Amino acid sequence: MMAANMLQGSLVQLNALSTDIPGYESIFGITSKEMNKILSIALEKGGDFSELFFEYTISNSMMMQDDILKSSSESIIKGVGIRVLKGEQTGYGYANELTFDKLRETALAAASIADGGSRIKIADFNVRKPKHNYYDLNTIIAESELEQKIKLVSSAYQSALNYDGKIAKVTSSLGDSIQFVTIANSEGELISDLRPQARLVVRATAEDNGKRGTGSYNQGGRVGFDFFNHDVTPEEIGKNASREAIILLDAENAPAGEMPVVLSKDQSGVMIHEAVGHPLEADGNWKGQSLMADKMGQMVANPLVTIYDDATIPNYRGSLNIDDEGTETENVMLIEKGRLVGFMHDKLSAKMMNTKSNGHGRRESYVNPPIPRMNNTVLEKGDSIPEDIIKSVKKGFYAVSYQGGQVQNTGKFTFSVNLGYLIEDGKLTKALRNATLIGNSIEIMKDVDMIGNDTGFFLGNCGKDGQTVPVTCGTPTLRIKKMTVGGQL
Amino acid sequence: MKQTELLKLAEKLIKYSVSHGADDSVISINRSSNFSVECRNDKIERLEDASSLSISVKIIKDSKVANASCSDIDVSVVEKLIKGTIKRAELSGQDKYATLPEKSASYIDPEELMLFDDEIAKMKPEEKIKIARFLESEAMKNKSINLSNGSSCYTGSGTSVLALSNGFSGFYDFTYLSAGIALQTSDNDKMYQDGWWETNVKRSKFPKLDKIVQKAVERTTRLVGAKKIKSQNVPIVFDPNMSAMLLGFFAQCVSGTSIYTKQSFLVDKLGEKIANPLVNIIDDGTLAGLPGSRPYDREGVSSKRLKVVENGELKSYILDTYAANKLNLKSTGHSGGTTNFYLEAGQSSPEEIIASVKNGLYLTNTIGQGTVPTTGDISKGASGIWIENGKLTYPVDEITISGNLANILNDIEMLGNDLEFSRSRVAPTIKVKEMSISGL
Repeated sequence: MMAANMLQGSLVQLNALSTDIPGYESIFGITSKEMNKILSIALEKGGDFSELFFEYTISNSMMMQDDILKSSSESIIKGVGIRVLKGEQTGYGYANELTFDKLRETALAAASIADGGSRIKIADFNVRKPKHNYYDLNTIIAESELEQKIKLVSSAYQSALNYDGKIAKVTSSLGDSIQFVTIANSEGELISDLRPQARLVVRATAEDNGKRGTGSYNQGGRVGFDFFNHDVTPEEIGKNASREAIILLDAENAPAGEMPVVLSKDQSGVMIHEAVGHPLEADGNWKGQSLMADKMGQMVANPLVTIYDDATIPNYRGSLNIDDEGTETENVMLIEKGRLVGFMHDKLSAKMMNTKSNGHGRRESYVNPPIPRMNNTVLEKGDSIPEDIIKSVKKGFYAVSYQGGQVQNTGKFTFSVNLGYLIEDGKLTKALRNATLIGNSIEIMKDVDMIGNDTGFFLGNCGKDGQTVPVTCGTPTLRIKKMTVGGQL
Repeated sequence: MKQTELLKLAEKLIKYSVSHGADDSVISINRSSNFSVECRNDKIERLEDASSLSISVKIIKDSKVANASCSDIDVSVVEKLIKGTIKRAELSGQDKYATLPEKSASYIDPEELMLFDDEIAKMKPEEKIKIARFLESEAMKNKSINLSNGSSCYTGSGTSVLALSNGFSGFYDFTYLSAGIALQTSDNDKMYQDGWWETNVKRSKFPKLDKIVQKAVERTTRLVGAKKIKSQNVPIVFDPNMSAMLLGFFAQCVSGTSIYTKQSFLVDKLGEKIANPLVNIIDDGTLAGLPGSRPYDREGVSSKRLKVVENGELKSYILDTYAANKLNLKSTGHSGGTTNFYLEAGQSSPEEIIASVKNGLYLTNTIGQGTVPTTGDISKGASGIWIENGKLTYPVDEITISGNLANILNDIEMLGNDLEFSRSRVAPTIKVKEMSISGL
């Protein structure tokens, strides 16, 4: 159901963004017959597969700082990406002028990846709708009254500011979007999806006698307004940011060297995302770049470890009904009790590895061709009681919140801790600030040796090949036998 | 549409917004054509050819601000967007610091900056494909490289149009060409990756392709056999890329936005000594033919040469109009960030710098975030070559370096004479007296 209220300035009314056919015809101004023709033109030079990805996205943001709503902004993008595959080669073009002539020109540019060869007949469209809905479309934030959104941003702002007299600056911002996509390909698929996304982010800086600390916290997903009434309140988001800022005021430098590391449940999914997730995206594997390329079926982790990527968790930031190639998403098992059992595939990687796509082809926007990406990557919970995990460590590092992480094809990865604690004799003692932890995928997965019975999620943006997509990653509390902690001596 | 027509459209939209209730407005139109080719295993893996346009609007009404952007240039659509934005501005809070700058007294002629190169704009796809293919085939001739992660060649050209209700309007054309290669190698069970890329606004100044290959191969193969070392405090020599990384973190800390939001260790440090007297940091958007140059910033303020740090003293923040108003200073013409931001070269050759270290790290790569402007803390995954008795010995990796930028700036003991303006943020080789390394 769509609310009647419309944002000012929108190019088309949002309630026209319906997955009911022919929603795409009115939004993109192109008929399925014309799409069929363009797909055929794209194969004129001998490609084996052609695809159109139409996108219409409205993104809004607003930011509160210095006790006022600083500004709001609205961005509208409309465009098409045209892709032609020939063997393992990709031709790609995009345009935001959606006339038939411009589409033909773009299709020909993409077509030039192939030269000569047989022509493939375009199949008649089998118009489908996504089988499932994993989004809250009842109270779409991008569609709600600005006043209502301002209230949300302001509640978070106030609670962060009032948390402690030492809080000197607060920035509270809300970003929301609604994306409508229509995907058509030469195999006759024609499918649309309407995807909401929202995130409320608070950053707070505390000041005390020349010392400073900045903390941040965020929550959101493919959620509606209800989320901020029931799941997490804006007040909690504000307080969490300020709490971290205050703790950081007196945080000390982390120690340096190898030691046992305990990852708290809240945000430590970052480690799984970098160390395990990226190496299991199939593009790096069919190209032989990933260190997991030849390890299918082998034990790659401690038998306690089970990891999956599930795009079907309702209303999560990384969830999708269909991926950006129109494939239905699913819960993909990656590592089962330590054994490597699956990769995340898009259509191209699946073709190159003789299997079927499992719905992991994603793109930032119509400007980018799809590549295998994560959605919601989860390390399954275990049996240990979180307190017992901390108690088991004589001297070590406890990681709480993160700036992010990075990994290379070689499996070398880092994650940057914003706030951590020293563990001494099984207890959390001093608060510690900024430390980078470094490790190697293969070793780290064998070194995870205690897994908690709790779970938390990190909400992030994942960058790869110049494309950014929203993801989450979840973990229970974990113990890693040893890791190098990048602090100071 | 010709550039002059786009300019007229922007001017018309300014008039439209003012006549529909805006006190002030800014309209920018960006149009670009991009081409990219990526090769791997002697095949074109991806070829992209596309064009795009975007228009963005900023409205100030009654000291209240709202923004919008869209990818549709249809006048009626944009006018509707402007009207909506004016309405939305009314819901923002009144902010006396939200003003437009005054129009600058004089401007650099965009042509003098040489940001557009006809040779790049006219390059044929075949020529770009040839560049990418050459880079890979040359690199793979080297037996110590066992996998290509892909070579690429990108070109772009476009027009940037800006109009403000303070009377400023202008446009300039730009081009760029970039190419490079990513490589991978391994020994036993360990893998190593690196590569090299170059970018330039002028075809004739683009570095020789075999130089790119040579550098990519050298950077990748020198990592083979890397060891992890024990944790210790040592001097660190930053290669020019790594010095530039450090300079990037400094740019973030010295930006006016970080200062007025108090998320910087440089708050209240204007006029104070923040670095070793050897250190001079400059931002200069007026250098002809360099990738960071621009005649004016996103608010139409004329570019200039700005001394940010002079003989170790903090002379200026990097300011747009809003941050300047907040800090009771004047815009330095940096709406949109730094231009050509560089650490001035010193007297020492890189060899002399390395030779001065008895036991330390020659840092060649980092991974991860690990920078906190609020405190100046830095902690990153690192790899490089170990220095013993003034000589490069064996490669090291899976370690981290950490320290605090406030200390690092004071601990810069030597500056290299090897500054090259190959990117928009550059620095020479530097030696930092001491930082922490975490390893075994």
